[in-house]
Amino acid sequence: MVQLKQGQFMQAVGNAAEINELLRRYGVKFGIYKNGVFNEQFFPFDPIPRVITAEDFCSIEKGLVQRVNALNEFLYDIYHEKKIVRDGIVPEDFIYISKGYLAQCEGITPKNRIYSHISGIDLVQAKDGEWYILEDNLRIPSGASYPLIARELTRIAAPSAFEENNIVDNRGYAELLKETMENANCGGIRAILTPGRYNAAYFEHSYLAELTGSVLVQNDELFVEDNILYHRTYSGGKTRIGVLYRRISDEYLDPLTFLPQSLIGIPNLMEAYRSGNVGIVNAPGNGVADDKGIYYFVPKMIKYYLGEEPILKNAPTYLPFYEDDMKYVMEHLETLVIKDVAEAGGYGVVFGSDLTKEKLEEFRQTIIAEPRRFIAQEVIDFLDLPIVEGDQTVMRKADLRAFVLSGEKTKVWASGLTRFSRNPDSFVVNSSQGGGFKDTWVLSR
Amino acid sequence: MKQVNFYYCAKLTFDDYVHNHSFALRVIPPETETQNLLSCSLNITPYVSTQQTVDAFGNNVTAGYLKGDHRFLDFEIKGIAQVDHTKHRTDYMPCYLYQSQYTKPDDALKEFYTDIKRECTGTAADRAEYLCAALANTVVYEKGHTDTDTTAAEAFALKRGVCQDFSHILISLLRMDGIAARYIAGLAFCDGETHSWVEYWTGDHWEGIDPANNCLVNDDYIVISQGRDFRDCAIDRGVMFGSYTKQLQLVRSILS
Repeated sequence: MVQLKQGQFMQAVGNAAEINELLRRYGVKFGIYKNGVFNEQFFPFDPIPRVITAEDFCSIEKGLVQRVNALNEFLYDIYHEKKIVRDGIVPEDFIYISKGYLAQCEGITPKNRIYSHISGIDLVQAKDGEWYILEDNLRIPSGASYPLIARELTRIAAPSAFEENNIVDNRGYAELLKETMENANCGGIRAILTPGRYNAAYFEHSYLAELTGSVLVQNDELFVEDNILYHRTYSGGKTRIGVLYRRISDEYLDPLTFLPQSLIGIPNLMEAYRSGNVGIVNAPGNGVADDKGIYYFVPKMIKYYLGEEPILKNAPTYLPFYEDDMKYVMEHLETLVIKDVAEAGGYGVVFGSDLTKEKLEEFRQTIIAEPRRFIAQEVIDFLDLPIVEGDQTVMRKADLRAFVLSGEKTKVWASGLTRFSRNPDSFVVNSSQGGGFKDTWVLSR
Repeated sequence: MKQVNFYYCAKLTFDDYVHNHSFALRVIPPETETQNLLSCSLNITPYVSTQQTVDAFGNNVTAGYLKGDHRFLDFEIKGIAQVDHTKHRTDYMPCYLYQSQYTKPDDALKEFYTDIKRECTGTAADRAEYLCAALANTVVYEKGHTDTDTTAAEAFALKRGVCQDFSHILISLLRMDGIAARYIAGLAFCDGETHSWVEYWTGDHWEGIDPANNCLVNDDYIVISQGRDFRDCAIDRGVMFGSYTKQLQLVRSILS
């Protein structure tokens, strides 16, 4: 166990209510739509940090860099030669039925061949200390701002904790993000595109814009003229945008290429992007690589593209698409967790053990009818972390979203978002399912 | 080989002024193995500067941005092409094997395919011609019942449609049969507007088939654009601001 000077951060625990109040005032919220109604929820902060030792972090770091590099190679390959399909490593069906595959992106090569500039990789630590990858998020992973601001406030509430312990400063995220955006810049200013204040992650958009010195924009301030993306200035002029960190999904990005009914996109953005006149962070079309069905193939990709053994393990996963796996899934359904590949945010996750006999049978038939729609995984018994509830400390399930930034080099941010489930019986930690978050301290030695 | 003069124009008219109008036109025919452009000119009014790109499907895209108030956008294109269908196009993409937005079959269309699939045998060409004939026996060419948003399943339910609908249904059937197929928008001698037909993959190259006329494609057909379905081939897509309520589109084409 890590030798932390506990007394110091207990100071933060004592000040937890204050920190949460400050977060509330900063507008650190999480908005979700449920049944068509927009609700802003406070994203509760727990003051006891997750601590990752220097040694542990070093191996996680290597594993994540390796994984993200392989995923970037995969994306380039899929939108160009498709060697991995031709060589029979990934079945064609898994690419072209995936909703994340966008035929409109065929042949586009983003600057420096980087597709996933900001990757949010979700991991869990099992009780035996081993780390497992749960999910890759290569589209627009959110959450980096929460540990950033929480750290800021904890430093104020418990300054001695940071003097007495060797904690890597996480404030470098802004610089890292700026570097990454600059590496994708095709000439012009940096901008962060937000759909607006009713978006779940609006706090994050504005906070990151402030920290990186980027312009926070909405689509009606932008236009494409002569294949160049411009920001309309208040004085009626225009400023060229060289890189757009967009926080809207692919389908809404350009109504002339994707969904014509999109009101939050920028017409002809894709033409400017295809011509190499603007960088888009992350690249459109990345969904094909973070599809839950593709997850199964990531260790194979690492071997295929990099010729290396994967450093970090996947959770043991079965694809009912394969006959052998289907057989195993049918025999062990009640102990597995089944995920619908088309869903995100903790939706479409079913634990076999939660189902009644009839429901289980019904579900079995659904899987047989649509084997491509599901993946099945062993339930990892992951490490519980202490959280403060009232005046007690209780143990809850938690995961870690690590942020990997790909610029000139691929780097892992020495922090991350630790999310926990407030429900003692739940393994689902997504913020949209009512979880909370912790700061993640990486020790420097 | 045949030398064809082509002329094509479209007029977009709004009943009130619009501004900040972004558009993307897919009107300049691509140069391919089967068609060679001797000349081609595009004229757009009001004057606007445009940029040319080539999209993922190999289509020429003309993009522009009209900032000021205007009530219409006209474009006309004319040129001379040499068409030669003894040569073959080979620009294959695996996505053409999978159903797309407009071609996804519903239960009725799936059932139609299941009922005829026993007779559908032989080479890709045999099967494509068989499916095309089966379609011609089931769906009637009739204007006014469908529009550009109509899917293959919807048109099949109506048992009526125009060239776009015939193309979507045939593509849907071909893909169900495991044959890659794509949508072609273009000009043909049989039509005074734009036409649409289908290309299927023989395993080696693309072959054209015209389901609305239940015939094979010859040198009388000029390709303007291709894609998974109509969505990838729309002649013009645009976004504009203004309080207009109606947009009128007039299209005319002449081949000689």
